[in-house]
Amino acid sequence: MLKMTHLSKVYRTEVVETYALRDFNIDVKEGEFVAVMGPSGSGKTTFLTIAGLLESFTGGEYLLDGVDVSNLGDNARSKIRNEKIGFVFQSFNLIPDLNVHDNVEVPLRYRGMKSAERQQRIKDALERVGLASRMKHYPAELSGGQQQRVAIARALAGSPRLLLADEPTGNLDTQMARSVMELLEEIHRGGATIVMVTHDPELATRAQRSVHVIDGQAVDIAEEPRFHAQSRRAEAAAEGGAH
Amino acid sequence: MTLPPILAALKKHKAGVMLITLQIALTLAIVCNAVFIIGQRIDRIERPSGINENNLFLITQSWVGAPTGDDAGSVDKLDAMQQEDVATLRNLPDVESAISINTLPLLNSTWSGGIGLKPDQQSSTAQAAFYFGTDEMIPALGLKLVAGRNFTRSDVNHMGFRGHNRPPIVIVTKALADKLFPKGDALGKTIYVDRDTPSTIVGIVERMQVPSPDSWANDWFWNSVLIPTRLDAGFARYAVRSKPGRLDAAMREAPKALFASNPMRVIETGDNFEDTSVHSFADIRTHAYRADRGMAILMGVICLILLCVTAAGIVGLTSFWVGQRRKQIGIRRALGATRNDILRYFQTENLMIAGVGVVLGAILAVGLNLWMMKQFAMDRMSLLYVLVGVIALLVLGQGAVFAPARRASRVSPVEATRSV
Repeated sequence: MLKMTHLSKVYRTEVVETYALRDFNIDVKEGEFVAVMGPSGSGKTTFLTIAGLLESFTGGEYLLDGVDVSNLGDNARSKIRNEKIGFVFQSFNLIPDLNVHDNVEVPLRYRGMKSAERQQRIKDALERVGLASRMKHYPAELSGGQQQRVAIARALAGSPRLLLADEPTGNLDTQMARSVMELLEEIHRGGATIVMVTHDPELATRAQRSVHVIDGQAVDIAEEPRFHAQSRRAEAAAEGGAH
Repeated sequence: MTLPPILAALKKHKAGVMLITLQIALTLAIVCNAVFIIGQRIDRIERPSGINENNLFLITQSWVGAPTGDDAGSVDKLDAMQQEDVATLRNLPDVESAISINTLPLLNSTWSGGIGLKPDQQSSTAQAAFYFGTDEMIPALGLKLVAGRNFTRSDVNHMGFRGHNRPPIVIVTKALADKLFPKGDALGKTIYVDRDTPSTIVGIVERMQVPSPDSWANDWFWNSVLIPTRLDAGFARYAVRSKPGRLDAAMREAPKALFASNPMRVIETGDNFEDTSVHSFADIRTHAYRADRGMAILMGVICLILLCVTAAGIVGLTSFWVGQRRKQIGIRRALGATRNDILRYFQTENLMIAGVGVVLGAILAVGLNLWMMKQFAMDRMSLLYVLVGVIALLVLGQGAVFAPARRASRVSPVEATRSV
């Protein structure tokens, strides 16, 4: 689904070159849930912005869904972002001037989707995150957790093949973080490929595998999932049954 | 993006939207009416005088020690002096024709009176200007005779400046003929120029403006009567036409020739219009309409300033919104908006604001015109002015918003990941 080979990203000024990513290699299979971890400034957010075609890279190769994206024009990149990628940001990134309904509708409008289909998808997505009753609310009228759920609904409404999440629980308290993570796991079970950047080792354990980014390079790839949401839930159910 | 989300976003910026909408509305209302006034002034300025203005100039001169009495001897003496001057002018090599005449169109020196259709009519049927001249007046001024005949030499009389005007025959302009005789049968009819003496209309000229360009003569601007009489006074006016391309030379030589013929006279030659006695007709026209031209320029400058201020307001507000919504634009780009989508968003947003502005402005423009009609007796403004104004303001808005909108379209989608 997402394959980067010897990828590099260099920020140049007149006097200095800074490598944000250097010889970066990663291969995320379709349907995988991958956590990307690393210290601040390691390059994990840069990786995510390049993966989401939000910015270009300097060298190497990036295949997204089998397509080499290095030479794509701005319109083609916009189209891929719109149709194949869903974003969930740490700071939610809802448009404050628009209500919940209109926020979820934004990517669908850019896709040129007909109104009836848009309305159905918005309804389905908001029902899925449990906020169908808040359609007319503005972001400022919602809690952080609710805003992040709206952001997830916005990503889900477009039925993306790849969901990129940047610290999706970073601004949430424990309870809200848990519910957001459960939502992401549910989406993953639905077949979506998820790449999630996180600082939190506990959250990373809920992914199928973790990738560590250090000094702009992907290292320490754990191929086997240490925990998996489904097995955890099965364990919990078993524990509950024992009591 | 279609309209509802843009409208929803605009609702969050009510103050800015209202201010710019109001600015557009006021600009449209003022500009429409100002352009209408400019159009009216230009129409006035471009009114044809009816005479051939090319190579024409006017000399106004006064004799020193000339007879001042109203007796026949004095008047005859003055008449002889006048005819001698005309002959002197005609003999100049650069002069094509010369006539004596009491005034000219646009000279702002008006002989006028009421014209009646019956003797001792209490209220005149029409107001008209009087041009006193000879049978040479029509060919020398290039007037176009459209019916009847010109005066003959035997028709022409002369009288003192304070004499009683009793012309047995007259030639009138078509406008006056139609006003007096709407059925179009003025030729041969009798009119009363001095209340009790009948004057027969023997000819009709196509057009000849009255001497006053001012608004008081607006209602009878084309009403002129040509009278076959030389006016004899201590001063005289000569309308002289030079040969083609010799106007300046003729204007220099004419006063010299008159002084050579009789030095006992005053012909002023100053730098300003008011200080000189020799004027080209082009100068007379320019001087006559200087207030209209000044008003048109002033209105034009006001329009230009208003349009610039409105355009600057749109640029400023949109630039502010682009700066304020940088992150939001990044989010839209991240969610799949192309650069064109962003450009279109701001263009559409402006179109909606300007759309409301021009609707309000159109109502205000018509209201302002109605108010001015009532207060200042202005004409009704054609709705075409409003329509053109609406289109101009919409185009101005789209033009003004283009630069900041294009700047917005260049915001990178990676802005979505940056903290504010």
